[in-house]
Amino acid sequence: MVTTCVAGLFVGAILAIQINLQLKDFGAQSFLGGLSTSTTIRNLGPVLIAFLLAGRVGAFSSAELGTMAITDQLNAIRCLGLNPLSVIIMPRLVALTISSFLLLVLGLGLTVFGGIIISSVSLKVNPLQFISHIPQFVSGVSIFIGVLKSFLFGIIIGTISCFVGYQTTGGAEEVGKAVRRTAVVTLVSIIVTDFLVSFVVESISQLLMG
Amino acid sequence: MREWNQLEYPALLFCSSFVGFVSSLTRREIRGREIIKQIYECAVMSIPVISFSLGIVSLMSVLEFSWHMRVVLRQDALVPAFSLVLTIREVAPVVTAMLLASRVGASIAAEIGVMKITEQLDQLKLLAVSEVDYLLVPRWLGCLVANVALTLISIGIAGVVTIFIGARWMGYQPGEFYNSLLLFTTGYDLAGALVKSLCFGTLIPFVSAGYGLRCALGSQGVGEAATQAVARSSLLIIIIDLFINSLWWMP
Repeated sequence: MVTTCVAGLFVGAILAIQINLQLKDFGAQSFLGGLSTSTTIRNLGPVLIAFLLAGRVGAFSSAELGTMAITDQLNAIRCLGLNPLSVIIMPRLVALTISSFLLLVLGLGLTVFGGIIISSVSLKVNPLQFISHIPQFVSGVSIFIGVLKSFLFGIIIGTISCFVGYQTTGGAEEVGKAVRRTAVVTLVSIIVTDFLVSFVVESISQLLMG
Repeated sequence: MREWNQLEYPALLFCSSFVGFVSSLTRREIRGREIIKQIYECAVMSIPVISFSLGIVSLMSVLEFSWHMRVVLRQDALVPAFSLVLTIREVAPVVTAMLLASRVGASIAAEIGVMKITEQLDQLKLLAVSEVDYLLVPRWLGCLVANVALTLISIGIAGVVTIFIGARWMGYQPGEFYNSLLLFTTGYDLAGALVKSLCFGTLIPFVSAGYGLRCALGSQGVGEAATQAVARSSLLIIIIDLFINSLWWMP
């Protein structure tokens, strides 16, 4: 929670600074608010926050499940005649997906504040000017993309960390490897999903607008 | 003795490794083989993941930017160069460092943590081998070299992908692209990216080693140390990135 909030604020601030640099060349600084908010919500915000969340949540749950797997706790559940998939994995999967999704949306909201704060404090852009350009660029579609990406990233973080942890065999060494594999696989699939969503939405919007 | 907190401890490790490195330079006792092994572990093994990810990321940023520029400026002629500038300044250093933090940082914390709980660190102490010289300096140099090299590689890959997309989908000549790139980027931007990669390459090993050296006993402790190492170093990467941005590119 704290991680996400801090990350959200900082991501918003970083992107505001960078986009300000680029817009300065065109003398189009007044567009800053709309552009940086739009880029953050559509694209980089969900990715960077999901990276942090994957490092934290994903590593934690895959380590926990991996430890349960190698200490035969999952086998003990099987001995009791229960299916570990439904008893252990499903609740975690659902909980991780929902909580990652909510945290990502919260972080996205905070990126806007990060942008506003940094641009009024150090970039000398009036906060009102910043806010007034937001509706011009950020349409419902952009917000929908941001939320859709957050939802997909939530599913990715939950699923991958649960199943990599679940499939751990061997000793303590293997748990470490499982954690690392979770992190790498999650990050790569987040990036690929992000690209696919952007690409599909872009194609659809081009089709619709002709 | 006073407990060091989560930020002071990596800083302490950094200072002592720096002193250790300089003194081993003066004594000419560089453990070259170990350093090369660490560079191999950090850099060469991460190349596939990082080049794949950066390729996709730069593809994506071209697509997104062309959408934005069509809204704002009603044209997207400068888009490939424009998005490459953002990639060089911002995305390539940060994404590379985050991937490296989750790959290398976790393994440094886990490795040192396992060494601690199996009392190998105590044996080093018995042999009067400094853990800073033996463990930290090679990892630091390895991670530093790896991060700088990988950042350069990822900038190169981003450039190639962007030129390809610009030529293939948007119908620009590569030469046109090159001209507009020179218009926007200066050596100063590239130097900024290098400064970022130097800072991140130093930050990752010390934060991770700090968690590894202080991990709690038991395999639970090792897992916790690896998790904390990844989470904390990614967060610190973003925070430090903001500071470098505001110091380097603000007049």
